[in-house]
Amino acid sequence: MNSGIFIQTIIGGLGIGSLYALIALGYSMVYRSMGLVNFAQGSIYMVGTYFGIIWYAGIVVGLRVPYPVALLIGILLNAMLGVVLERIFRPLAKLDLMFMLLGTIGLGFVLNNLFVIIFGAEGFAVKSPLPDTPIIVLGIRVLPQMLLLIGGAAALMTALQIFLKRGKLGVAMRASAMDHDIASAMGIPVNRMNALTLAIGSALAAAAGILAAPIVYVNPAMGSAIGLKGFAAAILGGFGSIPGAIVGGLLFGVLEAVSSGYISSSYTRGIAFIIMVLVLMIKPTGIVGETTVEKV
Amino acid sequence: MDDRTVTDQATRKRFGAKTALLGAAGCVLLLFPLVAPNAYQVHIINTAGIYILISLGLNIAMGFAGQYNLAMGPLWGVGAYTAALLNTRLGIPLWLNLPASMVAAGLVGGIVGLPSMKVRSHYLAIVTIGLGEVINIVLVNAQGLTGGPDGISRIRMPTLFGFPLDSDKRYYYVILLAVVVGFLFARRILRHRVGRSFRAIRDDYQAAKAMGVNTAYYQILAFVVSAVYAGAAGALYAHLDTYISPDIFDFNSSLFILTMTLVGGMGSLVGSIVGALALPILQEYLRVIKNWQLVGYGVAIMVVVLFVPGGTMELVRRFRSSRLAGRLWARNPASGKVRVGETDVP
Repeated sequence: MNSGIFIQTIIGGLGIGSLYALIALGYSMVYRSMGLVNFAQGSIYMVGTYFGIIWYAGIVVGLRVPYPVALLIGILLNAMLGVVLERIFRPLAKLDLMFMLLGTIGLGFVLNNLFVIIFGAEGFAVKSPLPDTPIIVLGIRVLPQMLLLIGGAAALMTALQIFLKRGKLGVAMRASAMDHDIASAMGIPVNRMNALTLAIGSALAAAAGILAAPIVYVNPAMGSAIGLKGFAAAILGGFGSIPGAIVGGLLFGVLEAVSSGYISSSYTRGIAFIIMVLVLMIKPTGIVGETTVEKV
Repeated sequence: MDDRTVTDQATRKRFGAKTALLGAAGCVLLLFPLVAPNAYQVHIINTAGIYILISLGLNIAMGFAGQYNLAMGPLWGVGAYTAALLNTRLGIPLWLNLPASMVAAGLVGGIVGLPSMKVRSHYLAIVTIGLGEVINIVLVNAQGLTGGPDGISRIRMPTLFGFPLDSDKRYYYVILLAVVVGFLFARRILRHRVGRSFRAIRDDYQAAKAMGVNTAYYQILAFVVSAVYAGAAGALYAHLDTYISPDIFDFNSSLFILTMTLVGGMGSLVGSIVGALALPILQEYLRVIKNWQLVGYGVAIMVVVLFVPGGTMELVRRFRSSRLAGRLWARNPASGKVRVGETDVP
């Protein structure tokens, strides 16, 4: 096999993997802080994509804004959605996994169908703000939008790490995730921290969706498959772990790209899931293997 | 079970009423196709009957044994494809395909259940979702065998001693029989040692293990039993609709089955029947308002989860133990007492 094509496959995998990683971060952060497995994450990603892309594609009253502005609007609107969702998720987080699963799936169902009602079931393709012709370096062809996706995701993840490790708010968030009772005894508003976590998770999903929109097709059903894979990626890396979500997402993307390029493109999804199952069987805590906080 | 002796008197008193009720229900069920205004309504009920079978299976695995089996849709597909292939390729009738489908789905279900020995909770959920996806992908891509995305058509409806069961009204009795047998079988095994082991594992895995329950064996058995139900439902579905395609048996169908089971009541076999009847019927009659119906459906799920997590059966229990119910029937307080907290005994 040609090494150029191999590198091209890896880059493609990293691109789609960055998308999975950003979504996996939403799952893991919310699980860490609220103990809630949020199966509506895929729908939140879809909603975030629409929140940004509709302004860029001129769907609302023909109003068009430049791509970076649309990206910002989408991120902000989806962060606000996250804050609203905290109110709905608060009682859910106290229930059994089975009910969390169903409650969040129900919410996803509502979001998906509301968007079908508003924007129609059929989707649309989004034109990349960058040139459509691939950049060729040393015989490796890469779409500029793919590079933007990888770079944007990397920047967001770095910013998140800095925020969580250095910022006062980030430390408060981590403290509240570690122990609700002690954190609130220390004067940290736990519910507000949870709302912030959901806002950040949703904002990352929106960013992922808007950055990937020119590569994937935009429609109200786009969230279900990606949401499932983001969840698988979070589990693969180690559920509840932030580095785990990033590693898991990138790895899941690369695995998918390599298996579709070299084994069989029609069985791609299946191969990625089988590898995930195998990893879990061997190491149930995921690759990064951080022990997560078990919420009671 | 000591509680039974306590209820004995009350049970005997209510025995007559119970028999009468059962008899009446039996008559309604037997006469339904004859009085139904049109064949389409019978078709909806037939579909609901198939869902009852799958939901019973899921309830055994999830409600009683605590094992997250989110591959029910694809396992249902394994049953349907087994029957469809045997029928269209070899001309084998439903009566032989039914056990074959149950065996095939049971085997695949056992494989899906293998990871339960190692992982639990949401990990098990995603593993079963993943393996279910794999099954679905095989159905889509193994074109030589399954016909790919186009599916399999022209599956023949069965005949019974030369009498063709070729309409919804006639097929209804096949499904009714299957549901009754499935329900009684579920009740039987749940009252048996198997059921007690299931509940022990669900309530406290470590304690069950310490008490000498062979946890690995019963966990996988729970998956196999649920898959056997899905397999039977698959064979019945293939021969009823005469056309199947892989998109029917995807993750969304697993979710639909999960929803009806939860709305009915996890850990209650009657709940499965209620949920599996209510949801497909509701979906059918609310079809006019299209997408708003689906929004309402999502809202309904959230309301159930947040306010009545035990599903419809919890509503019934709440009503039973409420003052209003007491005043209405003035029942023996002893019989009322035993019911509380014994909710999961079928």
